[in-house]
Formats: sequence, structure tokens, C-alpha cells
Amino acid sequence: MPVSRVPRRFRQAAFLLAIALFAISSISLASAQSGQPAGITVEAHKMHDLWIFTLIVALVVFFGVEGAIVYALFRFRKKSDDLPPQTHGSTVVEIIWTTIPVVIVITLFTYAFIVLRDVENTADPQDLTVHVQGFQFQWGFTYDLNDLGTNTPDRNAKGQIVITGTPQDNPTLVIPVGEPVEFTLFSSDVIHSFYVRDFLYKLDVIPGRDNKFVVNPREIGTFHAQCAELCGLDHGIMRFTLKVVSRADFDKWVSEQKVTQPRAVQQAR
Amino acid sequence: MAAHTGTQHRQELSNGMLGFILFLASEVMFFGGLFAAYFIARADSPTWPPALPADKLAAGVELKVEFALPFIATCLLVLSSVTIQFGVWAIQKGDRSALIRWLFISIVLGAVFLTMQMYDYSQLPFRADDTVYGTTFFTLTGFHGAHVAGGIIFMTVIMVRSMAGQFSASRHEAVEACSFYWHFVDIVWIALFTTLYIVK
Amino acid sequence: MSSIAIPRPRTYERPVVLDWLTTVDHKKLGILYLYTTMFFFFVGGTLALVVRTQLAVADNSFVGHDLYNQIFTMHASAMLFLFIIPVWAGFGNYIVPLQIGAADMAFPRINALSFWLVPPAGLLMFSGFLFGGAADAGWTAYSPLAQRSGTGMDLWIIAVILLGISSTIGAANFLVTMFRMRAPGMTMFRMPIFCWTVLVTAVLQLLATPVLAAALSMLYIDRNFGGAFFDPNGGGNAVLWQNVFWFYSHPAVYIMILPGMGIVSEVLPVFSRKPLFGYKAFVFATMGIGGLGFGVWAHHMFTTGAVLKPWFGFMTFMIGVPTGVKIFNWLGTLWRGSITFETPMLFALGFLSMFLIGGINGTFSAAVPVDFALHDTYFVVAHIHYVLFGGSVFAVFAGFYYWFPKIWGRRLNERLGQLHFTLMFIGFNLAFFPMHLLGLEGMPRRIATYSDSFNWQTLNFISTIGAFMIAVSTLPFLVNVVMAFSRPKDQPNDPWEANTLEWWTTSPPPVHNFDDVPEVHSERPLFDYRHGSAASH
Repeated sequence: MPVSRVPRRFRQAAFLLAIALFAISSISLASAQSGQPAGITVEAHKMHDLWIFTLIVALVVFFGVEGAIVYALFRFRKKSDDLPPQTHGSTVVEIIWTTIPVVIVITLFTYAFIVLRDVENTADPQDLTVHVQGFQFQWGFTYDLNDLGTNTPDRNAKGQIVITGTPQDNPTLVIPVGEPVEFTLFSSDVIHSFYVRDFLYKLDVIPGRDNKFVVNPREIGTFHAQCAELCGLDHGIMRFTLKVVSRADFDKWVSEQKVTQPRAVQQAR
Repeated sequence: MAAHTGTQHRQELSNGMLGFILFLASEVMFFGGLFAAYFIARADSPTWPPALPADKLAAGVELKVEFALPFIATCLLVLSSVTIQFGVWAIQKGDRSALIRWLFISIVLGAVFLTMQMYDYSQLPFRADDTVYGTTFFTLTGFHGAHVAGGIIFMTVIMVRSMAGQFSASRHEAVEACSFYWHFVDIVWIALFTTLYIVK
Repeated sequence: MSSIAIPRPRTYERPVVLDWLTTVDHKKLGILYLYTTMFFFFVGGTLALVVRTQLAVADNSFVGHDLYNQIFTMHASAMLFLFIIPVWAGFGNYIVPLQIGAADMAFPRINALSFWLVPPAGLLMFSGFLFGGAADAGWTAYSPLAQRSGTGMDLWIIAVILLGISSTIGAANFLVTMFRMRAPGMTMFRMPIFCWTVLVTAVLQLLATPVLAAALSMLYIDRNFGGAFFDPNGGGNAVLWQNVFWFYSHPAVYIMILPGMGIVSEVLPVFSRKPLFGYKAFVFATMGIGGLGFGVWAHHMFTTGAVLKPWFGFMTFMIGVPTGVKIFNWLGTLWRGSITFETPMLFALGFLSMFLIGGINGTFSAAVPVDFALHDTYFVVAHIHYVLFGGSVFAVFAGFYYWFPKIWGRRLNERLGQLHFTLMFIGFNLAFFPMHLLGLEGMPRRIATYSDSFNWQTLNFISTIGAFMIAVSTLPFLVNVVMAFSRPKDQPNDPWEANTLEWWTTSPPPVHNFDDVPEVHSERPLFDYRHGSAASH
């Protein structure tokens, strides 16, 4: 009966290496903002907190279980030809290690449920609404002049600002900080997905379905975004940029847009 | 071709029959998937039947089915289930010639059902590409029709084997299997008929 | 201990090629399955290397976007439909009848049909490359995109339907075999755990695969007959495809892992020299996973806005519980054991750790708001590969090294096996761990390239190195197999001092499997025979 005999020094080295790897990965994860950016919206911050909590639980479970496995491999390696005790199982142990996971998942689910309820809001009519159209393989953003959020100059204005992207010229989506922004999603060809990494959120753009969501941005900056649902040939380069600016800068941008598009036309959808 | 039958205690259901019943379970799931698609499509549509585009309306397309002929066809199919069951009972008593007669009647009834279905298809005022109503209608009835055709072939093979004297009171498992399949096809049709023609 | 004699069927002499083409012997069919599926493993792996080469550096143009979409679609399709699902049919075919003491499967000719559907289906699927382009809408073929693909898509649909038929009738075969053909004394709860996992897998295949057939038929009708199942312009619903597709494809992932868990559950006890801890709990956990697996499908659809998120999030969390129970039972098997580290054990232990990671990173996606960020990013690609490669593929290799002596009568070389494992383990983690970070950084799935300004290149490059390391690691395996075939068949019946009935007969077994079978009094009949029944309790 052949037995694999791994030299003691090699085993010790492997053990220390494993510890070192775990330590390095944990530290690097922790330093890289726990892997995930904190997000730029109120909703993202809540989802990021849930991520951190889940990550902590995951790491504790992983190191606990993996630690037990590694320990067992060292402690209970074959030392003699005697048969070890032929334990078939233990009902008590089964109950314990079924109950504890149930408690853990119920805890995680409850927290997740609360966050879900908190981040899925409906918009108020006076919130800025951006109509997003995804098409193969770029984006279009439409703002109604009578629906520009807190500082809408004229709630009876007719006309729209339309920004349409091209593959060579990715569009920039501009929104103001500090107030709710609603996005409505429309596609007339295939399914796309509106994904802004720093929203920690994406929502699919589905033909025949009126998807929409609201966020409350809290940070000014320029952020990368791209389609996150395979939509055909150039899915990989269906990118756009999100720019979050102060309300004043947003109003300035709006008036600049009106200047560049003096005859914005009502678009039939 | 079992080396031994192991620890089974009940021999009423042979291996072949058990396997056939499992196969029928998979068929139930296949039609289940199609039915689910129908119900979901129907629930998601603002109106049922859905609104037709203008050009189709102008061309005279209508999304409706008539009741009378399919109802008669349904009765014939149900009757064919009854007749094949008479055939099974006959061979259980060893009456080979009765089995052959009942099989023949069931085959004829099944063929009449299929013919009436095909006639119905030719008279319908819509096609498979006329909204999801047309698509689900033809997909569901089409796959069912294919299974009826398969069942007719199955019954024909069984009838020929009966005529060749291969079945007796103690050996007629294939006849039972055939009758199970035919009843299954019938039950699926009753569900279809209720869904497509009665509940609409 | 008494044993029962088995009547021997007549055997026929036939030319070798004709014999293999017309065989209905479960052992030969099992070997044919293994050759075929391992071939597609290497095909799928090569496609993966193309993907990784393209993604190794930013703004790359190694392949164009059109070809890239076909390549990752066919990578996944080959790996899932032509490798991992049918490879379990291969192991199951060879081993299950032996483990229950039977002479063959219940329906040998149906068995042959099941196998012979696979190679033509594979060829059909790949023939798309010759007809204007293979399927290119992902293995998930979402509508309406899939309606726009070329002929390759139709070939793909038909191929998958054929494979589904193979799966479904194979499942009925396994179920009847296990229900009806067990050796005297082998009650259901004395059946080897590998057989149990194949049984539950067969139930899933029987009930879920037909729904895929329905979905694929609907897609074919939409593509070719102007159907409107998934077309909103005809009153149809694009999300309907996702519902019908995932109703099968989620149970499918349990089809892809459960027999692997069964193999690990055979190997760990043998090389720890004690029984599987909590055999009954393990059986119930397997059934639980199978049952719950039918109730979680919409967790693939959280970002559609069209599903009941709390329900599916809850069910997805719940399925973590029986999965965790299994991991703890494996740990309990190792605990206070007498462990040695032959190659089958190395792969089984690798499975344990990698599947633990894969199960944990899947839990993140069960938390719905977290999934909003992770869905359709490389985080999910990491999850998929930790469970399917670190899990299932490692289990495949554990099975290979463990049962190679039984199937081919020779032992695989230990040193080469250790080299294979070490390289594959390191390469695997290098390839797929960085993908967690890439997903968190915002890299979506299925993109043909990325810009240098996103700073994804370093992690992608490391991942590519890992992928090539995996490729290199298969060389010692292949060399090992070839060298083994040149050695004489010298293996004893039971080279590992194992527990189950396949080790009672010769290596390889005779055509009729057993001259006699010992009476079975526990789930470890060989152990009982070696030590006398008293020692087993």
C-alpha cells in the first residue's frame, strides 16, 4: 500500500507559505477599499456597507473552515498503519453545523432585504429625469427642458437636449450633485445594461420594458460607465462617461446645450 | 438483461415500464415549459389576444378560434383513449382479436383527430407569426399534433405485433406502455383545449 | 461472508472497431464518453486560451470582436454541454453498475443511443464556424440578441436539443438501474455516495432538461418562423426567454457539480481511512440541493427589474445551507483520520478548498443589492470558474486518477500526478482569483477588449499567465496517460484499499463485471470484507 511521504521541512514551508498568502491577500484586499469602490451615491454607500458586512462574514467563514481543513491535513496525516476510529457521524454535530449556517444566512438576508428596500425608490415628479436609450452600440441621453430637477427654469418649456454617442466619440452624461436623478431606460433593438461602476448598480435596458431607477449622487467627478449585457458585435466598446457636477455647473451646461441645439425638437418615441 | 434483480420486492412494474413512466415525466415537463411560456406571455400582455398591427388588421387577420369542430375532435380523442383502454383490458384477459379491433378503432380515431386539426389549421384567420397569440397557439398545438402522430405510429406497431401473436394475458407490457402514452397525449390535449378554446 | 454467483452471458468475437461502434457494454460506452468529453475539454480550453490572449493586454486586436463573441460562446458551450455534463455520464456509466454490483445498466441499447448523440451534436455545434460563424450570443443566448445571429445559432440550437435528449434518456436509464439492480443487501441507504449523487443528478436532468428543449424550440420558432415568443413587437416578452432558459440552467449547474461531489465523497474516506462522516446527512443535503435548485433560477435576473427579488434572494441564501453541510461533512471525514496524499486525494482536497471559495463568492450575489454591482462582471466569472473548474474539473481529475487503475488496469505515475496537480492548482488560482478584483473594479463580462485607462491590464495579464499555466499543467497528465498505456495491465482488484464494490472485481473488470458479489451489510462492503463486519461500526 503506497504512501506519499512529504518531507517535514517541505510541509512546514508550505504551511508558512499558505499563511503568508492569506495575509497578503487580506491586507491587499483591505487596503484596496475592501476590493470595492465606496460609490458616489447615497444608495451606493448603503450597498457598499452591505458588501463590507458580507465580506467580513465571508472571510471569517473562509479562514475558519479553510483553517480547519489545513489543520486537519497536518494534524491527522498518516503516522502508523493503525486504523483511525471509524466514526460514522454525529447527529448533534450535524444539527449544530446546520443551525449555524441557517442563522448566518438569515442574518445576511435580513440585512440585504433592508438595504434593497432602502435603495429602490420611486422618483418624485419634480426630480430631474434623464431618458437613456441603449442601441447597438452606443447610448443616447435625452433631457426634457421642463424636467431638469431643482432649478428647472421653466416647467412649461418645450424642447429637449439630446446627446447621442458614436463609437469614436463616447457621450458624456451630465447630472447635478446633491439631488435625486431618475433614469428611464429604453431600447428598441436588443437587451443592454446601464452600468455605472461608481453607482455600484446596473439595470437592464430591455425592449418592451419600462425600467427606471433613482439615485442621489453625493460626489462630484468624472466616472466610467459601459454596457453590461452582451448586445452584439461592439458590446465591449459601448462606453460612456458620467459627469457629476455642481448644480451651478449643471445649469451652465444646460444653457450651453440649448445654445448648441437652438431648435431642439420633440422626439416621438 | 439484468444479472440479478437485486433488492426489489414488487415486480408489478417492470424495469422497462418504470423507465417508460420516467420518460413520460420528462414529456410532462416539456409541455409544462410550453404552457408556462403561454401563461407568462398572456399575463404580460396588456390585452389578450394582443393588439394586431394595422397592416395585419387590414389584411383580415383575426386572433380568434372557433369552438365547434375542435370540440368534436376533442370528443373523438377522448373516445380513442377509452377504446385503447378496452384493448388493454381485452389482452389482460387474453383476448387478442379484441385487442386488435380496439387498437384499430383507436388508430382511426387518432387519425381523424389529426385530420380535423389540419383542417382547422387551414381555416384559422391567423398564422404563427401573427403576434405571440399565434405563435403560442401553433407551437402548443403543433407539438401536441406531433406527439399524436407519434402515438399513432406507436399504436400501429403494437397492432402489427398483436396480429403477429406477440402478446398474451401474461405478456403485454408494450400494450400497456402504448396506452399510457396515448392517455398522456389525451390529457395534454384536454389541458390545451381548456386553455386555448375555453378559457381563451 | 457469503457471495452470490452470477450467470454469465455469452460473448461474441468481433473486429475491434466494429465492437466499439456497436457496443452496448456500459464500460466501453463509459470509456467512449470519457474520450469524447476530454477531447471537448481540450477544445474548450484552447478557446479559453484565445480569450485570455485577447484580454492579456489593453486595446488588443488579436481577434476581432465578431470572432471573439463566437469564441467565448463556444468556449462555454463546449465546456458545459460537451464536457462537464456528459463526463459525469461517462464516469457514471462505467462506475455505477459496478458500485451496485450489477452486470450493466438497465437499458444498454438506450445507453448506446445516449452516447452516440454526443459526438454528432458536438460536430454540429462547431460546424457553425464553417457556415458564416458559430453561435455568438453567449451560451445563454439571450433574446432578442439571439434572433439576430446567423445560421450558426440554429446549428447550436439543434445540437443542444440533441444533447438534451441524450441527457434525458440517460437519466431515466440511471434511475431505473439504481432503483432496480442493486446487489442483495444493498438498500438505498447502503448505496455508495457517488451513486446517490448520480441519482439526484438524474432526477434533475429528467425534469429540467425538457424545459430547455421547450425554450430552444421557442427560440428556433422565433428565429425561423417569425414567432413572437420573445419579440415585444409581436406582443412577446424578451424576459420570458431568461425565465424559461434559467429554469433549466440553474438546476443544470447542480447537474454539473453533484457527481463531482460524489467522487470527492468516495476519495476522501478512502485516503483518510475512515467512513464518510454523516453519510445520511450527505444524502439528504444532496436531495435538498436538488430540490432547492429548482427554486432559485431568477437570481440570474436580479438586474432585469422583472423578478421577485426578495424571494429568489432568500432561496439562494438557503441553498448555501445544505452546501455548507456537505463541506462540514467532508471536514468531518478528514478529522481524526489517517490521511495520505496520493494524487486522487490531492485533487479531492483541491476541490474542497476551491469549492469553498466558489460557494462563498456565490453568496455575495445572493445578497441582492450586492449583486446589482457584481452581476455581469468578472466577479461572476470568478465564481463560475471556482465552482466549475476548482470544483467540477478538479473532481474529474480526482476521478481519473482514482479509477484509472480499475478502468485500464494500470497505475498512473505519482510524481507526474503531483506535478499536474501543483501546476494546475497554482495556475488556476492565478487565472481566476484576480477576476474577483477585476469585477469589483467594474470590468463587465463578454467584452472583447478594454481601454488602457481603466487600469485593468495588470490583473488581466496575471490571469492570462495563469490560464497558460493551466494549459501547461495538462502536459504531465497527458504524458502520464500515454506512458501508462505502454505498461502492462498489472493492477490488483483493489490498489487503494477502498470501500465499494467496483474494487471487488478485477482491474479491468471482465465483460460481465462480476463472477460473484459479496453480500452487502453497509455502505462499505469492501471494507467490511477486509476487516470483518464488526470493524465497520
